[in-house]
Amino acid sequence: MITFLSDIGVLLSDTGMWKNLIEFGILLFLAALGEVIAEKSGVLNLGVEGMMAVGAMTGYWAGIQTGSPWAAIIIAAVAVALFATLHGVVSVVLGADQVVSGLALTILGLGLAAFLGTDLVSQAPGAKFDDLSLGALSELPGVGPTLFSMDAMGWVALFFGALTWFVINRTRAGLNLRAVGESAATADAAGTPVVGTRLIAVAIGGAFAGLAGAYLTLKITPSWNESIVGGLGWIAVALVIFGAWRPGRVLIGALLFGGLIAVGPRFQTRRCNGDEITNCITTEINPILVSMLPYLLTILVLVVLSIRSRNRPSVAPAAIGQAYRREER
Amino acid sequence: MFGLRLTKRETPLPGGQILAFAMGLLVALLIGAVLLVVADHSPLAIYTKMADAAFGSPQAWSTTLNQAVPLGLAGLAVAVAGSMGLWNIGAEGQIIAGAIAGTWVARIGPDLAGPVLIPLMIIAAVFGGAVLALGPALARAHLGVNEIITTLMLNEVAIRMVRYLVNGPWKDPTSIGFPVAPELPEQSALPTLFERANIGVLIAAAVLLVFGYFAARSKWGFELRVAGSSEKAAEYVGISLKRKVLTVLVLSGAIAGMVGGLRLGSSDRIVEGIAEGWGFAGIIVAAIALMRPSGVAAVAIAFGALRVGGVAIKGQGVPASIAEILQALVLLGALGAAVFTTYRLDRTSASSNASEGAVA
Repeated sequence: MITFLSDIGVLLSDTGMWKNLIEFGILLFLAALGEVIAEKSGVLNLGVEGMMAVGAMTGYWAGIQTGSPWAAIIIAAVAVALFATLHGVVSVVLGADQVVSGLALTILGLGLAAFLGTDLVSQAPGAKFDDLSLGALSELPGVGPTLFSMDAMGWVALFFGALTWFVINRTRAGLNLRAVGESAATADAAGTPVVGTRLIAVAIGGAFAGLAGAYLTLKITPSWNESIVGGLGWIAVALVIFGAWRPGRVLIGALLFGGLIAVGPRFQTRRCNGDEITNCITTEINPILVSMLPYLLTILVLVVLSIRSRNRPSVAPAAIGQAYRREER
Repeated sequence: MFGLRLTKRETPLPGGQILAFAMGLLVALLIGAVLLVVADHSPLAIYTKMADAAFGSPQAWSTTLNQAVPLGLAGLAVAVAGSMGLWNIGAEGQIIAGAIAGTWVARIGPDLAGPVLIPLMIIAAVFGGAVLALGPALARAHLGVNEIITTLMLNEVAIRMVRYLVNGPWKDPTSIGFPVAPELPEQSALPTLFERANIGVLIAAAVLLVFGYFAARSKWGFELRVAGSSEKAAEYVGISLKRKVLTVLVLSGAIAGMVGGLRLGSSDRIVEGIAEGWGFAGIIVAAIALMRPSGVAAVAIAFGALRVGGVAIKGQGVPASIAEILQALVLLGALGAAVFTTYRLDRTSASSNASEGAVA
């Protein structure tokens, strides 16, 4: 027990762990934020895993072509917004089942990214997001080398988070978005364009997944192979539920799940080799087992939520998963 | 806006879903052709090669049928739940759970004779799949927890479970480098039916036939469809929804688990990628087949052919992922085309056009 406590101490003082936590937190936050926007409009998109793969591949390719991480990540966001529109057209315009259409998007995205990215596997990255120094702030003990040294995409993600919260809760557009996601027929009767709103929400959701995917290959790895997304997209889907469709809570969840990803590989005693004894973890926990936790936690949250929501309305958008056609009112 | 609008047909187009599938296939092959041209290949030559590898000889047919087995059973697993309006997105994980359970049996009884070992492995696999589906089934039946997300999450848990086993407790001590599980005993291989096809084809066909029969003819199948179309109607005629949800989801998991068991019968050992995307492909198969067992078999053979074709063109420098791309495109095309079996595309009249313009 005492050694475990000292291990926690070692872990908490490990700058690398905090940096990983923040980076995976940024990635998950961006992807989950996009899914929040789509789901708020009433469209479940299970294509996140595939959209992130397309974003990761496109971003890596564009980085090599342009040499600029910013140009690359924007190209990836636009490409994935277009790719997500496929789900929009099939499930919103044509009214096909959202579950099936979204999963098809994942399978298609994983396949396309593998197909088009075949030659990228062996190529070195052309662009990369660098850590951003904030002068004196980055010198602060603790938060200096971690939070205040994160790359610019971290600040962009926080800005987008605040913007999303503001638009959803404080603007006319957000009101329309929520109306369409709660009751499409009512929104339609009030003159809100249901199909248009949902299409835009799905495309914006795709753009965010594209940012997340490109961030993976332009910062975290930075390299490309076809299995690189490895379930991160499903964690993003889970985070939306975990965070009860609220950007603030999703951010907390993203940092928590990002933390699990960062901590996982660190409970291995082989990390002791060559290290100072004071900076050494002695408890062995299998990282593969730790990596199951985000998914298990999400199931737990779902169960707790549904027990609690027996006596009150559900927090999920009411129209989620339902196609809307006017004559079926 | 486009001067066109969808109006509901009075009666759905007869044979519409077959038409939709054909349209989806056409759309997929056309987009696939574009991709192949972009990648500097001749689509015609590649497609001919794929068709030849899948249907060109008895041996080709045998490999196609081998691939159709997991696709058909995974499709059936999804369809059983789907006919009641439930989504089992966890077939992928349940296949893995089945394979883990089957391997476990082979590890404790490596000296059992084939005719004993193989059925035991398959039974264990069926239980493995059912166990993984039990949690989501209980949560859905008793707490109303959405089964889509729970089954989906358990996929990732199952993938990590087999990764853990192969890298840790089940690692072959004699393996050098990449960690792998030890080989399964020789007699655990499924006996050959013809050419490369093994008796898994017969088992899958039997399971599909039995379920096809029960779904169409039995009280059980009838109740399933009633419960799927209206919860209120089901409760009114005295069908216990809770029990139905529970049994159907567990059964769905059990069928998916069987896929894991059968895959072991045609593999050397359990590997991390034992499920190979069969579970997700099963969702596509079931969706195109409109959750009907007869349709599942036909779509499974078509997709089996796509997979065989995809592997065959690897040698030509075409990534095998083209098969996944084509499958997803077939589904998206079919989903899109299916709309026109229940809806008709009409020109909007000039007056309604004008009024729409006024609102915008």
